Order: sequence, then structure tokens, then C-alpha cells
Amino acid sequence: MPDLGVASSTIASGVLLGGMLGLTALGLSIVLGVMRLVNLAHGELLVFGAYVGLFFLQYSGIDPLLGLPVIALFVAALSVPLYRFLLQPLAKRGSEAQMMTMFGVSIILQNAFVLAFSADTRSIPVGYAALPLILGPITVPLMYLIGFAISVAAILGVHWLVSSTVFGRDLRASAVDAEAATTLGVNVNRVQMLTFALGVACAGIGGVLIGAAFQFGPSSGASYLLNSLAIVVLGGLGNVLGTLVGGITLGALQSIGGLTLGDGYRDLVGMALFLAVLAFRPDGVVGGRGR
Amino acid sequence: MRKQFASGEGAEVAVIALAFLCLWFVPAFAGDYWQQIGFRALVYLTLAEGWNLMAGSAGLVSLGTSCFVGLGAYVTFGVMNGLDLPLPVALLISAISGAVLASVVSPALFRLRGLYFTVGTLALAELLRLLMINVSAFGGASGIFLKNDPPDLPVLFHFALTVALVASLVVTACTRTRASVIFRAVRDDEDAAAQMGVRAFRVKLAAFALASALAAMAGSVQAVKLGAIEPYGMFGLQWSIDALTMVIIGGVGLRLGPLVGTVFVIALGEALADYPEAHIAIAGLILIVLIRFAPRGAVGLVEGLNSSIRARLA
Repeated sequence: MPDLGVASSTIASGVLLGGMLGLTALGLSIVLGVMRLVNLAHGELLVFGAYVGLFFLQYSGIDPLLGLPVIALFVAALSVPLYRFLLQPLAKRGSEAQMMTMFGVSIILQNAFVLAFSADTRSIPVGYAALPLILGPITVPLMYLIGFAISVAAILGVHWLVSSTVFGRDLRASAVDAEAATTLGVNVNRVQMLTFALGVACAGIGGVLIGAAFQFGPSSGASYLLNSLAIVVLGGLGNVLGTLVGGITLGALQSIGGLTLGDGYRDLVGMALFLAVLAFRPDGVVGGRGR
Repeated sequence: MRKQFASGEGAEVAVIALAFLCLWFVPAFAGDYWQQIGFRALVYLTLAEGWNLMAGSAGLVSLGTSCFVGLGAYVTFGVMNGLDLPLPVALLISAISGAVLASVVSPALFRLRGLYFTVGTLALAELLRLLMINVSAFGGASGIFLKNDPPDLPVLFHFALTVALVASLVVTACTRTRASVIFRAVRDDEDAAAQMGVRAFRVKLAAFALASALAAMAGSVQAVKLGAIEPYGMFGLQWSIDALTMVIIGGVGLRLGPLVGTVFVIALGEALADYPEAHIAIAGLILIVLIRFAPRGAVGLVEGLNSSIRARLA
């Protein structure tokens, strides 16, 4: 049995990582809620964000965390043609066609990453990534705390956007009933495009944070997609703050699983939790009421 | 699909039986290369037939084929190494275990319709893969070996052919008989079908369990051919990608879709054998283009052309 210091540090790390995963999951959740689309390329878009952060640092020399708004805008801008040319034409054909299309995008991106950047595992080399943060018996990498803080800020930002702005009102209306929203003068197409861009931006920001805190490679996406899905189901679909709580819960449970069963079981805990929630509480555990 | 109660049931069985007989003699005159390709095509065809049965007949889009391929592989090795049973018995047990696993997880996966099934199957495959990697009793990350030498290529070819025959006959039974009407009713409108007294859950479960049993058998023969299995390969997402790609390229819900898709994917794989990344990326591109412009796949495209030509001639 590991001692208290190790245990508490691991769980603290899990909670902080969970916050970062929560941001990624939020991107998946709003796209699912508004477009009824499980974006199977979400993981690859996250990895793409990490690569953008890496090259941003290499070529500009600016800390990618300072450049996050620029990176987020850049990734979101790239997602617009993705929506316009791939998803929008399929809008009338039901959600499966769109989902399969994004699946095609995901395998293309994954292999394009290998061709363009090689299969090497990388990390965004920010100087403070390895610095430890010591709070009593708890030691966590400083980068985890920074990533967590930025993620929480971004999630609160999205929460404000969805709950208090005109765009947010349109978004919520489109999520509940796209047809009725159209009748009432909401440009559902535009809302969906912006929602998709917002979702991709969340993945991009999450990618930079995760890329700085951990390692990533061309095929890292799948595991983040699955973890994000677990969080979405855990937090309740369309529940912005529930996603944050879901992320933290998953992160903590994964750490506990890793501690008690062995490190290889971390992801397994996530998948088992996901299927269990799907089976027993499909409306989410945290919020309960969902949307 | 136009003939709802096709009288073609007997004819279709005859065609399948004839093809089976002809292909049986392939090892007698074909070289190793063609037997290898044929073996792979037959394994793929089995997966594609099963996937098409789920998606085309019951509307279940699965990303969990790899889960059952891997399960079949591990069960086969367990049965053959641990109990010293012959391959045919191992095949049967694999098929049963595939169907059983599908039944066990179906309450969770069918809970929410459509998208969640897809996502759930993906998670299930990952769960099983991680389990195999981590549990040393199953060989862990390095996998397990077959105790005895695997059979020769011609024998393996015959096994794969038999499995593909079973797959084709199962699909014929499900699509050419009264069962097909029930399947389609559930696919098109689950609620309406339920109103008419169709037990939607059972129908979906039947399609899922049959497809899973077929995938497990495919995994079983594939594993015996390899002689050694490890979780990354046998539970690799590639199996699921290939199954889905083949059916979408060939034509979802069309009887000839899986066959055409299999030939296409195998040919593409051979043509780009030296560029694996480009191969998969191109498959993804074809997938996107077909979903957009030919939702009924290659077979649907040809059927459409055919009928428009006939309409013009008439």
C-alpha cells in the first residue's frame, strides 16, 4: 500500500487532470447537445491542438499558454470549413451520416499526423512543466495546477456564454428543438457552425494543456475521446458545470483505480465507469436533470 | 431490396453453395500468395456480413467489431491450449462466447438509442483490450502462443471459407425470410414496430448477437493462423474500422454490399501495401465521399445507374 503522501498526491493529480479532461469533454458535450453529433474526431482535434501549440512555441518562441486565445481561434477557424463542407450537407440525413463522416476525418487526421510529424511521442516543452508544487504532503507538477486553472476558467467562460448571452439563448433553443427555433427566427445553421467551432476550440485548448502536461502522439486521440465521452455521460449531457464535476470525478476515480489496482488500470476504470453509467444512470450522475 | 418477399431464397442458397464448392478447390491450384489474400478476404467478408446484418437490418452502427474479434481469438487459444480441444469445437465455443458477451452488454448498450450504441461498443472494445493488457492470466501485453503448431495454409483456408459460408447463410436466413420484415421494421421505426407487437429489444439483440458470434469466429480463425496473439493487434480498432469501411463502401443494407466492399478494401490494401498510413487515410477519404454522394455505396450506385438506363431504354 502506498504511503499517504503518494496517495494524496496521486489523487490530487487525478483531480487536476480531470479538470483538464472536463474542458475537452465540454467541447464534445455541446456539439452532442446542439448537433446530436458524437464527434468521433474530437480526440484527433485535441491532438491537433497539441501539435499547434508545439509548433507555435517552436516558431514564435511565445509560451503557448499565453498564446492560447490565438491557438483556440486558429483551430476554431479551421473547423468552420469542416462544418461547412462535410457536416452541413449531411444535416438532413440524420446523425449517423455525420458521425461516420467525422470518423473518416479522425482516421485521416491520425494518419496525416503520422505522415507529417512522424509517430514519435512528443510533449510541448514549457520550462515550468516539470516544476513541482508542494503543499504539505501533496506534491503535484505545477503544470497540472496551471492547466486545471485555465480549464476551469474556460469552462466558466463557456457557461457564461451559454447561459447569459444571445448566442447562448439561440444555442439552447437549437438544442431543445431545432425546428421550433428556426420558426422563431434563430439561424440554426449558424448556431450549429459556431457551436461546432466552440467545441473544437475546447478540444484545441485542452490539447495544448494536455500536451504541455503529458506526452502525446498521433494516436493519442482515441483514449481522450473515450474519456471525454465517459465524462459527458457522467456529468449529464448539455450540463456545462456537470461536465466539470464529471471530469474531476473521473480523474479522481482513475487515480484511485491506478493506486489500488496498478497503473495500467487507470483507463480501464474510466471505461468500466462509462459502461456502468450508461447501463444504470443514462441521464447522468452529477446533475441528474441534464438538459 | 425491391423484392420484399423474394422468392430468391432458394436461389441465393444455391449460389452461395456453388461459390463455396468452387472456392473449396482454390488451395489445389493457387499459390501461397493467393491463398493468403483469399484467407484475409474470407475473414473480412465474415466481419462485413455481420456488420451489415447489424447496421443494414437492425440499424445498429457498431464500432466494437474488434471487441468480438479479440474475444474469439482469446477464447480459441484458451480452449485449444487449456482444454486440448480441436479447432472446430473452439470455433463453436468462440461463437457462443461472442453471442453471450453481446447479450450481457446489450441492456447497457441499447439503453439509449443510436449514437450511444456506437459509442458504447467503442468503449467496450477498449475495456476488453485494457483488461487483456493488464491481467497477466490472459498473457498481458505480450500475449499468448498457441501450444501446438497452427494448421497448414490450405486447411486454414478451408476453415475461413466455412466460417464465411456460415456468415453468408446466416445473413440469407435473416434477410430472405419473414425475419427480414421484422428487422427492417425495427430499423425504420422502432416505436411503430413496437406498437405492432414486435419486440424491438429482442430483434436488435438477435442481430447484435449473431454479428458478434460471426466476428468471434473470424477472430478465432485469424488467431489460429497467427499462432500467437497479443491484445494490441487482436483488439485493435483497425478491425472495427475495416468492417465499417467495407460495408459503407459496398452499400449498407444491400445483400452484395459486404462482398463488393471486401474485394475493394482488400484490393486497396494490396495496392498500397507499402504505404499503410496512406492506405488508411485514403480509405477514410473514400468513406467520407461515399457517405456524402453515394449513401448506398458502390452496389447502390450501380443499381441506380442500371435502373436509370433501363428507364431510358423503356
